[in-house]
Amino acid sequence: MSNVILKVSELKTYFFTRRGVVKAVDGVEFELRHGECLCLVGESGCGKTVTALSILRLFDSPPGKIVDGQISFDSLNLTECSSKQLRQIRGKDIAIVFQEAQSALNPVLTIGDQITEQIKLHLPLDSNRTRDLAITLLSDMGIPSPEKVMSYYPHQLSGGMKQRVLIAMSLSCDPQILIADEPTTAVDVTIKAQILDIFRELKAKRQMSTIFITHDLAVVAEIGDRAVVMYGGKDVETAPVSEIISNPKHPYTIGLIDCLPDIAESGERLVSIPGTTPNPLDMPTGCTFHPRCPEVMKICSQKEPPETAISKEHKVSCHLYT
Amino acid sequence: MVETSGDIVKGVGRCMPNRTRLINYYWQRTRRNKLAVFGLAFIIFLIALAAIGPLFTLDPTEANFEETNMPPVRFTIEQSVYNIETDDFTTTKISGTWKHPLGTDSKGRDMLAMIVSGARVSLLVGLIATGIAIILGTIIGVVSAYLGGWVDNALMRFTDVMMTFPFFLLLVLIVFIFGPSLAFIVLAIGLTGWTGIARLIRSESLSLRTREFVVAAKALGASDNRVVFRHLIPNVISLIIIMATLSIPGVILAEAALSFIGLGDPTVPSWGIILESGQHTLETAWWVAVEPGIMLFLTVLAFNFLGDGLRDAFDPKSNV
Repeated sequence: MSNVILKVSELKTYFFTRRGVVKAVDGVEFELRHGECLCLVGESGCGKTVTALSILRLFDSPPGKIVDGQISFDSLNLTECSSKQLRQIRGKDIAIVFQEAQSALNPVLTIGDQITEQIKLHLPLDSNRTRDLAITLLSDMGIPSPEKVMSYYPHQLSGGMKQRVLIAMSLSCDPQILIADEPTTAVDVTIKAQILDIFRELKAKRQMSTIFITHDLAVVAEIGDRAVVMYGGKDVETAPVSEIISNPKHPYTIGLIDCLPDIAESGERLVSIPGTTPNPLDMPTGCTFHPRCPEVMKICSQKEPPETAISKEHKVSCHLYT
Repeated sequence: MVETSGDIVKGVGRCMPNRTRLINYYWQRTRRNKLAVFGLAFIIFLIALAAIGPLFTLDPTEANFEETNMPPVRFTIEQSVYNIETDDFTTTKISGTWKHPLGTDSKGRDMLAMIVSGARVSLLVGLIATGIAIILGTIIGVVSAYLGGWVDNALMRFTDVMMTFPFFLLLVLIVFIFGPSLAFIVLAIGLTGWTGIARLIRSESLSLRTREFVVAAKALGASDNRVVFRHLIPNVISLIIIMATLSIPGVILAEAALSFIGLGDPTVPSWGIILESGQHTLETAWWVAVEPGIMLFLTVLAFNFLGDGLRDAFDPKSNV
């Protein structure tokens, strides 16, 4: 497809630790189309964040290493770029918003210092225009009296404000791709709504292509166009969001959706998927979900399920559909 | 290696953004500790003394054999003087005069002038040697923590070796080889004194480098240089200030100790050198040794008080 701007194929990021090889990402495949909001969904520890970090190679290396796969962006393969090339892409073409705004801002520098630093790094502007741009960015994010906020230190801002500052920073060089790593997890519901509004607006106004990482299917339903459900470092189901919600195929996706509390059925016990995410040092054989799967078959523990197309846009990796 | 010397100069500039409000905040916290304020006041007094004092005092090198061993003002001592005409000892009373408020030494040199010029030497020794140690320690510590892996291993093992090396023996060796030159002594103290600082800075940076803002800075396209100088070092600057304040007295004392055992630079009148010259006349002219001793004592105390006060002020857990 011509409007694919980022394609991740067979990505494998392993961490070689003293206790063994952690296969954090083990063969993820997805593509990001221009102007869409692609959601990466999954429980903690399923490799969502490492996938995001792998795109810009931001994990610690050693012990982390991309052992296989391709990340195609703009006729480049990001897994083979030199670190210098990558540095120019980071922040300018692909930007990341981190989960915890509190720790993603340097506590000893003012907001102004941090946001202008980022602009100066990539854009050839003089200091006055840099400052103006920074103020515009902050006010675009709905931050009141941005001139004042420029001289604040991070601890003087509320969590929601910090998150907006981070988004403003990541947008400063007008990136083509924005990766948001659980930006709504660490904030309360009102701020969450406001931040989702910002992302929705970004999509509407700037046709921003976004990779949105979350474990919250409600958020996915609200802003996602397509979703990639991840489990055990692999993508298990990829489909448009409406399809995922209304017609989930993979038992894991079905489980996730069942876990959502239903407003109509009050008094019911909340459903949960039995068991926990597998130990990444010791992944189950075959389909990594089989120890927790309600529909487990004999083949599941022996063979890794191939990817099956349910429809043109809907792909699932499960032996039920082969 | 991450940086070249040009980058370091640029980097140091980058570490110093406008942070007057932070300074103000820490000053408010430090001020609550009275001893620290006393320490700071004394240090400022000492710096002023060292900077402009020599303009107002006599020449500290000028010997005057008519006025040897004069006691300080308000002190009177009995001195036995050999009279060549009567071939006998006559005991005379000598009182201190305002011409030499702190007395004179056995060569008739003005003690006040010597103390003041000694302050200049001792402070310079303390500041320069500590400066060398701090710069080395910070860079080695931060680079070691940031790069990790074999670089970290190599640098830290080197630090261990430096730590086990008997520092005083090294100084004696250097003085023996190069002669008692103050420049070499300062250099030697600086080049051996960075190890503890490097370790502390490394451990602090190790926890900093895993913080998300470091990853965030990299995600925005910052180079290693930039992360180290703009994000890591400013976060350890409080540690650097405390370490510097606490290591200055050690350095001053080390120089004094070297001088005291006769390995100092005899051409430069540091407090240690004066102290050493005073020990021979301790019975007849006690003030020659006592005065620089008191100055050393007060200076070391002042720096330690200030260092402690700063440490409490910079510690977010303490509520002084």
